[in-house]
Amino acid sequence: MSRQGGRGTESKKMYWYLPFISPSASLQLMNSELFTLTYGALVTQLCKDYENDDDVNKQLDKMGYNIGVRLIEDFLARSNVGRCHDFRETADVIAKIAFKMYLGITPSITNWSPGGDEFSLILENNPLVDFVELPDNHSTLIYSNLLCGVLRGALEMVQMAVDVKFVQDTLKGDSVTEIRMKFIRRIEDNLPAGEE
Amino acid sequence: MADEALFLLLHSEMVAGMYRAAEQGEGENGRCTTKLESMGFRVGQGLIERFTKDTARFKDELDIMKFICKDFWTTVFKKQIDNLRTNHQGIYVLQDNKFRLLTQMSAGKQYLEHAPKYLAFTCGLIRGGLSNLGIKSIVTAEVSSMPACKFQVMIQKM
Amino acid sequence: MTIHNLYIFERGGRCLFYSEWHRRRGPGIPQEEEFKLMFGMLFSLRSFVAKMSPTDMRDGFVAFHTSKYRLHYLETPSGLRLVLNTDLGVPSAREALQHIYGNLFVELVVKNPLCPPRAPVQSLLFRQRLDAFVRSLPYFGPRNPQN
Repeated sequence: MSRQGGRGTESKKMYWYLPFISPSASLQLMNSELFTLTYGALVTQLCKDYENDDDVNKQLDKMGYNIGVRLIEDFLARSNVGRCHDFRETADVIAKIAFKMYLGITPSITNWSPGGDEFSLILENNPLVDFVELPDNHSTLIYSNLLCGVLRGALEMVQMAVDVKFVQDTLKGDSVTEIRMKFIRRIEDNLPAGEE
Repeated sequence: MADEALFLLLHSEMVAGMYRAAEQGEGENGRCTTKLESMGFRVGQGLIERFTKDTARFKDELDIMKFICKDFWTTVFKKQIDNLRTNHQGIYVLQDNKFRLLTQMSAGKQYLEHAPKYLAFTCGLIRGGLSNLGIKSIVTAEVSSMPACKFQVMIQKM
Repeated sequence: MTIHNLYIFERGGRCLFYSEWHRRRGPGIPQEEEFKLMFGMLFSLRSFVAKMSPTDMRDGFVAFHTSKYRLHYLETPSGLRLVLNTDLGVPSAREALQHIYGNLFVELVVKNPLCPPRAPVQSLLFRQRLDAFVRSLPYFGPRNPQN
């Protein structure tokens, strides 16, 4: 017995993933979706508060940065990962440990630049966008832009200045979601980083 | 599946973000609580939507409130509500002695004046969850000593 | 066996937290200067150890001792420096420092939205829990004059 959904194709998609299930099983799903739903509510609110997509993207990046500078400490404490010796090691740690720990997925690492200072993270599926559809009037919205800010903020705290951006997005019809990360420079000691 | 720490930090940053925007003149202060509450409302609705609703499962209003206190609270905050009281006339008080969004802040009076900002989203969460279970309500919260807090639910007759 | 005091610094040199339990003697300079001195010394020692180490380094500088006390040091990749001074009865305080970082600092300061990042810690809860933890350590004894 299932509830009448009011959301058209989204509801149908949802029910495909969730056949009739026992309450305890659905509670598990409830839990995993708290973050996704909260993030969705945030993006929706920001779209109401800001005139254009670019401003929303900037806000998401800034908020992500503020989250990243704190999240890194939680990550370091729980993963026991030491200092990375090079950008390749950093990429591995991000994809195989951090993404797994926080989002339950392991993106693959590809497209290394010849200089070893740029790579891509390929996400087959992005947990942030479960059941999300971008409305037509938000074609330049980078829905998951928070992630870019998080990565940038977290890495700044371990002395790496990086540039992070989405180059492919399943929400925009691409087959995968691709995040490009570029190493800019090492941040030397005695430069306190902080909140924006 | 997203980690608990991620939700905690996202929630904190949402509160900070709303108030930062208000300070910079992008909205009045009072609106912040409303915005946080309505985000919570949307999330509460969404969470319950995933739960197979079978109205026959719940005998009555009290049964629904118990569900909120046990299953719903455990799913979201990893623990149950510690105490549920009601006047049997549509008012319920849910008491959480160690509210997960406050435990990192203080064990007493420090930072007390900031606590309400961190309760607005959850008030909406409860209201949204109830809404999708067929109950219209008004939810408010109060804290007198961290990290304990009380959520008051006033059922609105539809 | 006893514990004297604890300092927590951030990468830029600011002292975020200080607490003492059995400190018998002060440095005779104002606290601000004491913090600068401590941080400066740690900074130099770190570089020195990195440069002059006769073997490959693993953790780098972790401790030094005098005839009376031992200074234990933990540095996180995020630049937080924790310093614990104990008497010589404590060979290693690494686990305690890791607990202070991971279970106390991260949980009660980093995850406290009312504590700005990398600012001196005002949280009473952190101070209380840290104090309780330090006092619970097996080597936090009453002062033992025979060190």
